[in-house]
Amino acid sequence: MTKSHFSVILHVDDKHSHLTKMIINKGPGIMKMKRKLPTTVSGWGALALFFVTILSLPTLFLIFRVFQPPSENWEHIREYMLQSYITDTLLLALWTGVFAVAIGTTLAWLVSAYDFPLRGTLKWALLMPLAIPPYIGAYTYHGMLNYTGVIQVTLREHFDTAVSQRYFDIMNMPGAVFIFTLFLYPYVYAITRAFFASQATSLVENARVLGSGPVRIFLRVVIPIARGAIVAGATLVVLEVLNDYGVVSYFGIQTFSTAIFQTWFAFGDLDAAIKLAGILMGIVFILLFLEKLLRGRRQFSYSNTKVSPLKPVPLKGWHKWMAVFYTGIIFTLGFFLPVAQLLYWSFLTYEDIFSNTFLALIRNSALAAGISAAGVVIIAIVIANFARMSKGWLPALTSRLTVLGYSIPGAVIAVGVISFFISMDEWLGAFYSSVGASTNLVLSTSIVMLLFAYIIRFMAVGYNSIEAGFDKIGMKFNEASRTLGMGWTETFLRVDLKMIRPAIFSGFILVFVDILKELPLTLILRPFNFETLASMAYRYASDERIQEAAPASIFIVLVSGVAMFIFHIIIEKEPN
Amino acid sequence: MHVQISDLQFHYPSSSSPTIRDFSLYMQEGEIVSILGESGSGKSTILRLIAGLERPEKGSIRVGNQVYCEDNRSFLPVEKRGIGMVFQDYALFPHMTVEQNVMFGLKRWKRTERLQRVDEMLELIHMEEYRKRYPYELSGGQQQRVALTRALAPKPSLLLLDEPFSNLDAHLQQRIRDELRDTIKHTGTTTIFVTHDEEDARVLADRVVLVEKGGVKQVGRPCDLLRKSLQDRYQQTPIQV
Repeated sequence: MTKSHFSVILHVDDKHSHLTKMIINKGPGIMKMKRKLPTTVSGWGALALFFVTILSLPTLFLIFRVFQPPSENWEHIREYMLQSYITDTLLLALWTGVFAVAIGTTLAWLVSAYDFPLRGTLKWALLMPLAIPPYIGAYTYHGMLNYTGVIQVTLREHFDTAVSQRYFDIMNMPGAVFIFTLFLYPYVYAITRAFFASQATSLVENARVLGSGPVRIFLRVVIPIARGAIVAGATLVVLEVLNDYGVVSYFGIQTFSTAIFQTWFAFGDLDAAIKLAGILMGIVFILLFLEKLLRGRRQFSYSNTKVSPLKPVPLKGWHKWMAVFYTGIIFTLGFFLPVAQLLYWSFLTYEDIFSNTFLALIRNSALAAGISAAGVVIIAIVIANFARMSKGWLPALTSRLTVLGYSIPGAVIAVGVISFFISMDEWLGAFYSSVGASTNLVLSTSIVMLLFAYIIRFMAVGYNSIEAGFDKIGMKFNEASRTLGMGWTETFLRVDLKMIRPAIFSGFILVFVDILKELPLTLILRPFNFETLASMAYRYASDERIQEAAPASIFIVLVSGVAMFIFHIIIEKEPN
Repeated sequence: MHVQISDLQFHYPSSSSPTIRDFSLYMQEGEIVSILGESGSGKSTILRLIAGLERPEKGSIRVGNQVYCEDNRSFLPVEKRGIGMVFQDYALFPHMTVEQNVMFGLKRWKRTERLQRVDEMLELIHMEEYRKRYPYELSGGQQQRVALTRALAPKPSLLLLDEPFSNLDAHLQQRIRDELRDTIKHTGTTTIFVTHDEEDARVLADRVVLVEKGGVKQVGRPCDLLRKSLQDRYQQTPIQV
């Protein structure tokens, strides 16, 4: 299994179960350690450890600095604001999680177990909302619903009705939950659907034979057996909510992300920002721990060798139309409407927007995403190759640390990277002045900082793709090559690397698209005057120039939509 | 080249009991030995130990004058051993043609010698006209012959075969067994092959090593050993009249 955002997500998620296994198998792992590694392996290992250390340094730095004595601002924040940050962040995450699970699970079950008109199309169309980053969805909906938006205008002009403004205000907590749910439920949908497709058949068919009704089957059989998948999906949704900056700042909701931005940009207080980031990271770790607890010992593996897909039962009468309506309305709200609106706005404004500046935005985005994605893929190949070359705790720990960045919210990574780079600059200060540089801030004002942060954040996406590629080819070609006299490195270049090309390609594309959509890291870490499509779209939108934000947004949505569509086709073609 | 294996011991980290216990074997140059055993008997692990794909905890392996490994003191990595190995599912490189596959192990040879060797080997297995084909364009039997050729091309000091017939149709096995024996005898390579099929062992091997639970149960000429195993079987299951 490779490709697609979703299978990547599945892998991210397999990592968690991998850790449990690792802990359980601790005994033999230590035995393995005693065996000496051949020299080439230690060469690869040294390189892998070097990369992992560099990538973990900002996070370690952050943890270290959280415990420094607090500043005056911090006392103020702690006393008057911290509680509302925590409540708002948790409320937002909790409600989004609940609604995303409700929608994602029911949709996945409907599409897996029943047949109704348009099912084949909707099966993948229901993934598409993931192509729209929530911040773009947020201002698109705001633009549609506000006084000059399409809905109120239509009501006024064609029906001559004026409804009170408060019914159209979505810039509040329930509005944010609505936006997040609408654009993030596909995580739950994708993982549970994949689970139903591979695991549920025999259990569900047994329940049917035993005469259970559909509602009973769903509540008593489907939900419990899919618990692991549902929890995994919900965790990803909540992590995305904690990572978000665009939606909450646009809607004026105080969460940790916005608070970190403010203390850093408005107060210029890095120490207080670090403390907030530390608390947010603590929340994330508690969440990951809860996930493990909730999933319990029930891992995905129910697998018997014969995997037959669930045979969908045709729906009849009004049940059929209810199913079409429910799936259709989610797709319309989550993809069709926002895209139509963005296209319309783009049509209105493209003449002003499409200029050299816009081309420069595309170039900036493509360059930043391309360089970082290449970095991710190269580092992932080195680490994944080390992990398959040798066994034991060290490679296992290495690959765990590699994928850690995906759980850490962007604002936290940003603060970690900034403080790390500033220290590096202080440390290199003597060197800068000896070569005659006029400033001490060289690294921390360069684009290197942004690219570095992208690599940390999206390492897991690329790594899981590469690792899946290695898993797929297995060890036999590698072993065959070595019996023919090729060492590890030669084998890697002549055999392994050539055979995992598809995985390299898909890893690169997935990371590229993720970086294209990324907002919080880009906003905090971009060098002066460096704008990307995402940052520009966000800037236009927050200046209430929503229509001008549309061309850049639609560009992002189309690129990620096309990438998702291609991966979907590849996955469907591939058995298993 | 002659082979001297003494007191090999090994266990996989995941299992508590040793996978291989006190395995010893002496082979003369050019001999074909079959390691016969049921699945789970550890026979494939023995092959992987000899190849250098796993590292034994104890024991030594010598081939000719070369020490492959000796207890914990020395371990020659697989790529330095100069062995040839045919894998159960052949492991032909899918991104290379037949010719490139066969040439893969000859990288340190001179160009002219390399080309000559490939011609010679493909002729030996009657597959000259398939040299530009890719593995997926070949039948199972052809793939097996290419895999054997690839392993033999660099003139290995020892040839290892892991269940070489398990992926072939039953009606092909007889012919391919004979072909394989001819090819190996033609090159005079010392050979160890692993199988669970007594018939394979009878047709191919000069000598059979019967393994059970990771240790040697019996060694002998195929005819003696198999006759005995047949006798045992009849004694265990009384014939009902």
